[in-house]
Amino acid sequence: MIEALQFEFMRNALFAGFFASLICGVIGTFVVVNRLVFLGGGIAHAAYGGIGVAFFFGIPYIVGTLGFSLVAAMVMTAVVLKAKSRADTFIGVLWAVGMAIGIILLDLTPGYNVNLMSFLFGSILAVPSSDIWWMLGLSILTMAATAYFYRDMLAISYDHEFASLRGVPVNLLYFLFIGLIAVSIVIIIRVVGLILVIALLTIPPFIAEKYSSSLLMMMVLATLFAMIFNLTGLWIAYTFDLTSGATIILVATFGFFISMAVDFLLRGNFSIRQD
Amino acid sequence: MNEPIIEVENVSFSYRGLNVLSDVSFSVREKEFLAFIGPNGEGKTTLIKLLLGLLKPDTGTIRIYGASPEKAAHRIGYVPQDVAINKSFPISVLDVVLMGRLRFRGRFRLTKADREAARKVLSEMEMLGYQNRRIDDLSGGQRERVFIARALATDPDILILDEPTASLDNAGRTELYAILKEINKSKTILLVTHDMMVLSSYVSSVACVNQNVHYHDDAEITEEMIQNGYHCPVELIAHGIPHRILKTHKDQP
Repeated sequence: MIEALQFEFMRNALFAGFFASLICGVIGTFVVVNRLVFLGGGIAHAAYGGIGVAFFFGIPYIVGTLGFSLVAAMVMTAVVLKAKSRADTFIGVLWAVGMAIGIILLDLTPGYNVNLMSFLFGSILAVPSSDIWWMLGLSILTMAATAYFYRDMLAISYDHEFASLRGVPVNLLYFLFIGLIAVSIVIIIRVVGLILVIALLTIPPFIAEKYSSSLLMMMVLATLFAMIFNLTGLWIAYTFDLTSGATIILVATFGFFISMAVDFLLRGNFSIRQD
Repeated sequence: MNEPIIEVENVSFSYRGLNVLSDVSFSVREKEFLAFIGPNGEGKTTLIKLLLGLLKPDTGTIRIYGASPEKAAHRIGYVPQDVAINKSFPISVLDVVLMGRLRFRGRFRLTKADREAARKVLSEMEMLGYQNRRIDDLSGGQRERVFIARALATDPDILILDEPTASLDNAGRTELYAILKEINKSKTILLVTHDMMVLSSYVSSVACVNQNVHYHDDAEITEEMIQNGYHCPVELIAHGIPHRILKTHKDQP
């Protein structure tokens, strides 16, 4: 592993993994405690529509995907806030429609063929330095927003009714944070792929939730777990010449089962906390 | 008699074409301890949400300290139903109570004074020793005290509780009502409950909610109230056997 660090692509992969872990640890904590995993998946898949829009109309990739995902995210948020009971159906529709638009628009774009596999699995071993800077900027934005709104977000996530009675602008902050989720997903998909984004948003926070007495602690633990999974996954993928994204996910899954086993041995029961 | 602080006049509310409350009028005075009773799904929680300004009445007016519910929301401390809250959430007892220090219509900055105020109400609820515990490690009764502490941390004039005793055993209920009785010395309390057995010993007035509201300026539960408020009075009275629900007749020696 150490000798691998002489390659720039390997260093960039480690940086990308580091920032993706940080962003997913923080954002994923909100996603998991607010039960927004399905919405996150919807945004991530709808982002493919943005790729189609970008190539078909010849606008920059980042503008197309960010714009498309943000619009999809805002529509989904409005449905979640207005008609919570139908939200899952609606998100499912947008999920499929977004991908279909992307595929059709790419069909219609002459001479260009985006590899769907690279959208799904990313290419963490081929991350250009410019993407590292994007992720650094996004990490700073995410942490600044979280630090500034920490108490409000905690209140909204735990008991939004009480929060709104205390004058917290619940709906506005929902839009803001789901917007931040959308931006994070789009930028990280480019680096690590859609499947790894969803895995990093859910598995590390889910493990961390059991051991945390506060939202902040859950974010820190989730970030640490995600980093460990990333490093281990990259090392295994490098050593055995496997697909890096899928390897990282399996390592994370293995980590999840280890945490279940440790809980079982320590407490004598499986402790997936339930509502 | 002092002036009413809550005035509800001819309020109606329907949800998807169903009348939940129709033509409801009553008023509440300072330091009153009012219990809302009535069958499930017949508008008790809706009535509370109207008072809190979370819902708007179709017709009629609600005034709290002479203002609309939204304007008066900062004077009300709200204790929601335990079941309505995400139990697996990783949050400490102190952080729950600190939610009560979220400032009304202003940026929230956590100060030392906020932490001190939160610890003060926790110690009033005899829960200070649990401040760093995760909320789902507590028992139902302890959690209820934390939610009351959170409501008190808002420094309210009125405390509204939605079925605070639902998940408690008899000893827990008695303890909780004793706490509320103490709080009632300085604050007005509105309480939704199914718990008829302790009603007469603690509350000062009772309102039966069953689409309409029958308000009684007395803690006595009359036959008319039971007939109007519940569909099954027999079950209700059997429930209260070990305790006295009806006051003794006044004309008895």
